[in-house]
Amino acid sequence: MNRWIVWCALLACSASVLADGMTGVSERDFLTEVPLVLSVSRLPQRLDDTPGAVTVLDREFIRLSGARDVADLLRLVPGFQTSMSFESIAPQASYHGGFSSYSNRIQVLIDGRSAYSAYFIGSVEPGLQSVAIDDIERIEVLRGSNSAAYGARAFLGVINIVTRDPADTQGTQLGLSTGNNAIGDARASVGWSADKANFRLALDRRSDAGLAGSNGANRIDRLNFRAGLRPANGDDLELRLGTMTLNAGKGDPNQVDNLARDTRYGSSYLQFDWRRSLDQDQDLALSYSHGDETYRDAFPYSLQALGINDSIAIDASGASRSDALTLQHTWRRGLQLRMVWGAELRREQVVSKPIYNTDDALVTNFARLFGNLEWRPEKELVLNAGAMAEHSSTGGSSLAPRLMLNWHLADGQTLRVGASRAYRPPSTYEQFADVRYSWNGHLLEVATLASGKVQPESVFSREVGYLGVLPQLGLNLDVRAFHERIDGFITQINSTRPKDYANTENFSIHGLEYQLKWQPWNGTRIMFNQAYLNFSLIDHGIENGLAVDYGNALPAPRLASTLTWFQKLPGNLDLSIMHQDSGTMTPQRTGHDHQAAMTRTDLRLAAPLRLGAQRAELALVVQNLGSPYMDADPAYAFQRRIFVTIRLDQ
Amino acid sequence: MLLRLRNLFAGVWLTFMVAMGAHAQSAVVIVSSDDGAAYGAAAQALVQELERGGISRYSILRMKASEWRDARPQPPRLYVTLGTEAADLLARLVPGAPVLCALLPRNSFEAILLHTGRKVSSQFSALFLDQPAQRQFQLIRLAFPAARRVGVLWGPDAAKDGGDWRTQAQAAGFQLVDAEVGKQELLFPALKQVLDGTDLLLAVPSPQVYNSHTIQNILLTSFRANVPMMAFSPAYVRAGALLAVYVTPSQVGVQAAQLARAVLEGKTLPASGVYSNDFHISVNEHVAHSLDLALDEQDLSRRLRQREALP
Repeated sequence: MNRWIVWCALLACSASVLADGMTGVSERDFLTEVPLVLSVSRLPQRLDDTPGAVTVLDREFIRLSGARDVADLLRLVPGFQTSMSFESIAPQASYHGGFSSYSNRIQVLIDGRSAYSAYFIGSVEPGLQSVAIDDIERIEVLRGSNSAAYGARAFLGVINIVTRDPADTQGTQLGLSTGNNAIGDARASVGWSADKANFRLALDRRSDAGLAGSNGANRIDRLNFRAGLRPANGDDLELRLGTMTLNAGKGDPNQVDNLARDTRYGSSYLQFDWRRSLDQDQDLALSYSHGDETYRDAFPYSLQALGINDSIAIDASGASRSDALTLQHTWRRGLQLRMVWGAELRREQVVSKPIYNTDDALVTNFARLFGNLEWRPEKELVLNAGAMAEHSSTGGSSLAPRLMLNWHLADGQTLRVGASRAYRPPSTYEQFADVRYSWNGHLLEVATLASGKVQPESVFSREVGYLGVLPQLGLNLDVRAFHERIDGFITQINSTRPKDYANTENFSIHGLEYQLKWQPWNGTRIMFNQAYLNFSLIDHGIENGLAVDYGNALPAPRLASTLTWFQKLPGNLDLSIMHQDSGTMTPQRTGHDHQAAMTRTDLRLAAPLRLGAQRAELALVVQNLGSPYMDADPAYAFQRRIFVTIRLDQ
Repeated sequence: MLLRLRNLFAGVWLTFMVAMGAHAQSAVVIVSSDDGAAYGAAAQALVQELERGGISRYSILRMKASEWRDARPQPPRLYVTLGTEAADLLARLVPGAPVLCALLPRNSFEAILLHTGRKVSSQFSALFLDQPAQRQFQLIRLAFPAARRVGVLWGPDAAKDGGDWRTQAQAAGFQLVDAEVGKQELLFPALKQVLDGTDLLLAVPSPQVYNSHTIQNILLTSFRANVPMMAFSPAYVRAGALLAVYVTPSQVGVQAAQLARAVLEGKTLPASGVYSNDFHISVNEHVAHSLDLALDEQDLSRRLRQREALP
């Protein structure tokens, strides 16, 4: 009996020790398996293995630049042209040519979601505004055609925006900017976590009075939510939701055909991503995204000039909707082979009675198959071979291949050589536009009537690049020499009535751009970029001087340079100086015969603060220290902007 | 059916062995916390190494802690426990023979001493599963010659070791950037603190800090911050840590056998716990490639052995 009592007591003791053991370290911590985390698709391709030139703008760069939106940041990337005008829809960024009011030959991805505007002819402008700059972890700008990996919109390049992981933004963050030109930006972000999950809810506003001379005031309000769920089995679930409204003043009180008015653009999105590691060497990822756009822009067109005391409605209002489903498999074998392949189904619907003269939704379905093989036959050689086959219900089928060889000449030095072909099918507007004006039931004019005969335009891109990383000297140099031949360039034909869209010129864009980063010592970061661009007309097509013609239109400056200098000062102050010098080009709203150059110098001085337990930063930013420069339109100017920003980070 | 037959056979064999043991004293009784693969590998290596030293397989008894508790065979000349639970059981029941506690981390052994009132001595000693701080810092120096700041997150049970680690870090030329995660505290403020400006995150085992729920966020956050992790087990290297130094269960078995043979030859166990002489280094080649680091397991292992004057 006594022996049983002793045993029971011992068992009770063991149980208590085991219970303690649940929180204490034991051999199980050393011997138990844990889920695979940095799986094959989570490990990014190294820059020197990447098939193309990449500019990475990290969070520190973004903060130190003082930029208030992504478009303003992209002016510091070689080969980019930007505008701060909201006249077309939002500030514009284009690569190797701002050919029209909409930039639709580059792709914008936000956490992998294609965020170009189906409503605005595939333009990236609204997408660039859909995330607050303080929510961005980094921006990877892939300079050069990349349709083999990112689809038709990656015709000339890709802007890949990666937002901050909710795990990194726990607690409360607040930001406030105020300055001249009615600058009033505000942001509040709350991050919290639960068992195996992290969340962030961010609300922000960006507003100012716009460019001098424009019907300026613009205001963007955004709400973004992101949840990351990480169950113990190693799966990865991400949910993102967001909405944005953009109120912008457009037009001119003195122009009857472009009357001053307030416009409102709204967008919302939902994105769901699921990733599972099948084993050490392969991953499966499934994504679904949904996007909505609404646009309201209408004003009365006075018929006084015709002796009629009435007006007709000029309207560009409408809506769009897009859905995309992507399945992607990533696989590797050792360090020698890595393959990504998958399929995407995408559906875009655009509805606008005033623009398409129908109440019906215009639907385009895309089916895409893509694959990229990274093969390392030798330690020094990496071959990237990829292709995307795309079928569009309105643009037919195309195959966009790409081949790039990276040769690691020596430690830290890589030579790239490669070629790719890509196609951009015409957008819904370029195919189906039917803009007509009526008065009292009488048709006055058919302003634009797309015949639908337009075919996809194509680009054949060849490039040689060099990436040199010399850590001893703190140097990083990326050079890209390129020749991009565009055939069947899609343009609006303005000389006919009604206007139409057609494949017109064949031309080439060739030149060289480089990016030099230098960190000579701790606390100093210098980036110097230059881009030399030449446009050569090969064939006029049906009409002269539409996009490219010497002496007339020049979609990008022949030489553009930017210098960015970040300097840590005593007292932990941060000083930033950014200078941009761009040669003459044809701004988007000036007409073909107009050219203008610009220079801009920005200054930022910031001091870290501690407010109790909170970290904070106070910054003074001066944008454009010099004279106002013309932006987008001869009547518009970017004047000096001075603002103060305070950020609180819990 | 086969399983039941196997269990029946095992039961009969155990009863037979215990009955035999009642008449003949075993040389060594191996008491395992569990019959999982790691315990099996350690026990097998232990038996093989003892056999290699001329000790008969039939004088070695293997049993689980629960079986030992029920059967209480005649005390052998030496007990070798594998795992924390077995060590704890033998510490409480004072089994009448020296005990070598193996396959358990130092903190577990110290917790057992504290709970049971036993003192570490040549009668109750240990072979630790974790790696000495000095070895880890030497490896960091070999793998990251330019590293200056090493981040460490302490769990509630490991924080008391901070002073020792700091001393060892300084001796190896590193600055330790550490933070403690209390029992009810969130991990992330501490993680952010130790990742700020550090060259490497050194994982020190603590189930509250490192477990299958937290490892995703820790590895992803440190990877985003461009701070690689040096871990304490190959499982973490498979998960995405850059490298780890650890002792395998087989290596534990071999060294435990060497210590056991000394006892059987009339010597005593070490009067205080010892760390493993042998070790293994694993490198995640994909993470290393992604971070542009050229690390070779064999080369690191060879150089670390040279530094420790090991064969």
